[in-house]
Order: sequence, then structure tokens, then C-alpha cells
Amino acid sequence: MGYIAARGGTTAILNAEQLVEYLRLQGGSTPLELIQIRDQLRHAVGRAMNEGALYAPMLAALAVKQAEGDSIEASFLLRAYRSTLSRIMPTLPISGETIRCMRRISASFKDIPGGQMLGPSQDYQIRLLNNLIASETAESVTAVLAAYELLVDTGMSADGAIGHFPKVADYMRQQQMIAPLPADPDTSEPYDITRTAISFPCPRSARLQSLAQGDTGCLLTYAYSSVRGYGDAHPTLAELRFGYLPIQVAHPLTGEAITIGEISATECEIVSKAHSVAAKQNTPRFNLGYGFTFGHGEVKSISMAILDSVLTQAKAKGLSGESGPAANEEFVLLHSDGIEASGFTAHYKLPHYVTFEADLKVLDRAREHTTTQSQTRLQEIATRTQEASV
Amino acid sequence: MYSISHILSHSPVTAVTALAEQVLQHYPANAVTVISGPRVVMVQLRMRESVANSVFNAGEILVTETRLELNGTFGFGMMIGNDPSFATALAVIDAALRLPGDPHADLHTAIHALGDQLSTSQRRQFAAANSTKVEFDVF
Repeated sequence: MGYIAARGGTTAILNAEQLVEYLRLQGGSTPLELIQIRDQLRHAVGRAMNEGALYAPMLAALAVKQAEGDSIEASFLLRAYRSTLSRIMPTLPISGETIRCMRRISASFKDIPGGQMLGPSQDYQIRLLNNLIASETAESVTAVLAAYELLVDTGMSADGAIGHFPKVADYMRQQQMIAPLPADPDTSEPYDITRTAISFPCPRSARLQSLAQGDTGCLLTYAYSSVRGYGDAHPTLAELRFGYLPIQVAHPLTGEAITIGEISATECEIVSKAHSVAAKQNTPRFNLGYGFTFGHGEVKSISMAILDSVLTQAKAKGLSGESGPAANEEFVLLHSDGIEASGFTAHYKLPHYVTFEADLKVLDRAREHTTTQSQTRLQEIATRTQEASV
Repeated sequence: MYSISHILSHSPVTAVTALAEQVLQHYPANAVTVISGPRVVMVQLRMRESVANSVFNAGEILVTETRLELNGTFGFGMMIGNDPSFATALAVIDAALRLPGDPHADLHTAIHALGDQLSTSQRRQFAAANSTKVEFDVF
């Protein structure tokens, strides 16, 4: 079989695109509306947004629909769209302390200021398929909405609270369990990996930006490797909060802070075990790691916080957390972007006829070389045999 | 107590555009000069993290922005999402509240009422979450 360079296939490609649309709609089901996807597949939408690094729920819903639920493809579509938009300004720096919490838990202390609030979570359900969801009706939807009103009545407080809570990490600092905040925090412009390719060693802002848009599965795998055995991280959840984060920008005329709305977001802080404190520190303290995602992304934000903690320890040459693949910052950050990774992997589906032809020539030469060597060896053996018989 | 921009950005688009239309009734059409927009653009989210108190870029947020002048006074409107009417209404109100002599002081009453609605809505939302607060039994 010969291999040659080729071009063409335009008609085939166009037909393939039509076939995709046909497969999506062949069953005759009602096309999904974007608002249904945004509301009822909120984790898929959130994942597309945080891996696509663009907070835009309706566009993310479109991406999820277009990608037929493929999370990496959806985030790819969103990130590609992002490249067509102008960025006109940064927001004012905002802390997770301003999140209007719908969920807020800690695994470190039973009693935290403000209490533990489970919020909208499937963590406490038995993992059994719920057939009732398969047969939802207008009546069952009405019943759910009515039940919500009962929850509102149950939880209404007289003090007008809307979900602002102090940070557990601040309490830990007061108790000197974790390192104090630096007296002179880094006020330099944060690194922007969308403008400047990341290089190593990288600043903390580059690490966090990279992890924040990393692939959920990848961050989970690296973090899991570190806590399971290929590392020595022993994390405890200081605090996990999900809710609504108000966003502010500077008014272009006056410079005053103005609010432009709010986004849903998840924030996580992880503390590591006491023995993992950096060796150079005088006072043993817990190490802290930080995670943040758009939408409701608990596994990703926990994984990000674990990796942040492990990478910080590795940089500080701590007593632990400096071993294992997840402690290698360059390895973690350069391989955790799902879009880059999937793009590179998917490119193997593209024609490689020319490069493969070159590989074939190498293979032929190798075979020829091997055959020549074998013949030479056989001739040598034959010669030695003849000499021996003489 | 919420700021004006906080209230307006969290209020229904119909309520905000109604306020803007209320303002525009007092001016001829040529009193409004659009400087730019409404346009769909991005702002970069800057998060302040709690480990080293440093700032990092956490991703982009899609917003709609309008800049205009109302009777020569600059107005700026920006909201999260794609809604040109909302952003333009915010810019009109921003300019109206900045006009010399405060001719639209009556807006404050309406905005205050929207603030009350917002407060009620957020209290109800939190109440539902608060119903999941854990009461531990200690053995």
C-alpha cells in the first residue's frame, strides 16, 4: 500500500456536519431550550463556564447543547467565543467573604460562627436512580415549588440575614493555627496567562488562574494522587461555600465602585495536617490552600485547594507535600488544561499521511538494516561451519 | 444598606427600563448622545484569595456596557449578561443622578422601593438555605 499526500474531503465534511445534526434530532424529541439547560443542567453549565473561563450562563447552555453534553467540547466552544470579545477592564478585587451563601460547611469544626448550612446539595442522598424525575409533570413541579415556600417559612430569620458569614480561615488565623497574612501583600499586577504564556517558576497568581480554568477531572486526579499515596497531603476542609458573589467595577468617570450584578461561585479553603508545616517555620502551623470556581463546582474547588496547598509546600520545601507528581508545579499546570489536552489528543484524528509516510520509510530502512544484519550473521555462521568441517 | 448600583443591577430589567423611560420623558431625543455601545464585552474577574491575600485573575465575565451623555452629563451602565436595554437604562439613570441640580431626585424613592424588594427577595432565598442549617446532637 502506498501513502501519498492528499487534499479534498470538503463535501464529506459538510455531510458529516449534517449527520451530527440528524443524530441529535432523529428521535423526534422536542429540541432543548437553552433556559432548560441553564436551569436544569446547572452543573454542566457551570463546568463549561469555569473550564471555558467565561462566566456566561446562557452561552454556556448553548455550548452544552451544541456539544451534545460533551463537557470539554462545550468549554472549548465557550473559550473560542471568548477570544472574539474585547476585555475592557478588570473588576475590583473581591473576596469570597462577600459571597451571599446558599451553602457553607466545614469539616474542621462542628461549631463554626454562623453554623453549618448544607444548602442545595446531593451529598446526603442515597445514590439510587429516582424514577420520579423520569416522569415529572406540571403537578409535580408545582409541588416542588410549594415545598420551597415551606422551606422559606422554616428558615426565615428575624435579623434580616441574607447569607453573609465570617471565614473559618480568619478564625484559624486568630487562633494562630495557620500562618498570618503577609504584612506587605503582593500588590503587583496579577499574571495573566491569557496574555503571557506561563513560564516556571511562576507567580502564585499564574498558578491560581491556571488551576481555576483547569479541567475538573484532571485536577481531581492530581489531587487524589497526592492524598492517596503519591504524595503526603492530608487535607481537611476548613470551609466550602457556594452562593452569589457581587461583582464591582470602577466607574470610568469617578472611579467609585459600582456593582454590575452577581455571579454564582464556589470557594474552598483546605488546611493540611500539622506535620506538613514548612520546615523553616519556627512555629508549627497548618498549611492553607485556596480553590475557586464559577458556578457550583465543589469537587473542582476542593481539588484546586489541595493542589494549591501541595504546590506551596513543595516550593517551601516543607516536610511533606513535596513528593509525588502533583507536587511538580510545571507538570501539573502544563497538563491540566482540558482544552489544550483534548485538542492535542484529538489532533491525532487529523490526516498524518505525510509524516506517516516518513515513518514508513524509517520502518523500511530499519527492516532492511535488520535483514542485512541477519544475512550477515547467517553468512558468518555458515563460514564458521564450513571451516570447522574442513 | 445597598448602594444604588447594587439595587439597580439586581433589579428586574422591566423596572430599571421603566425608571430610565421616566427620566427620558423630560428630554428631547437629541439630549442623549451615545458615546459607545451598547456592546457585549468582557471584564476580567479579580479574586482576592485568603492564603497570601494576593489577587489573581479567575476568568472573564460577559457583560453589556453602554456609555452616553444625557444633556452633556456622562452616564455609564454595565450589567452581567447580554441585555442592551438594561445596560442603556443603567447609563441613563447614572447620568440622570449626576445632572447638576439633582433634577431627578424623585428616582431615589423608586430605587429605595426596589431596594426593599431586593432585600425581601434575598432574605427569602437565604431563608430556604437556612432551613438546612445543621443542629448537632452531642452525645
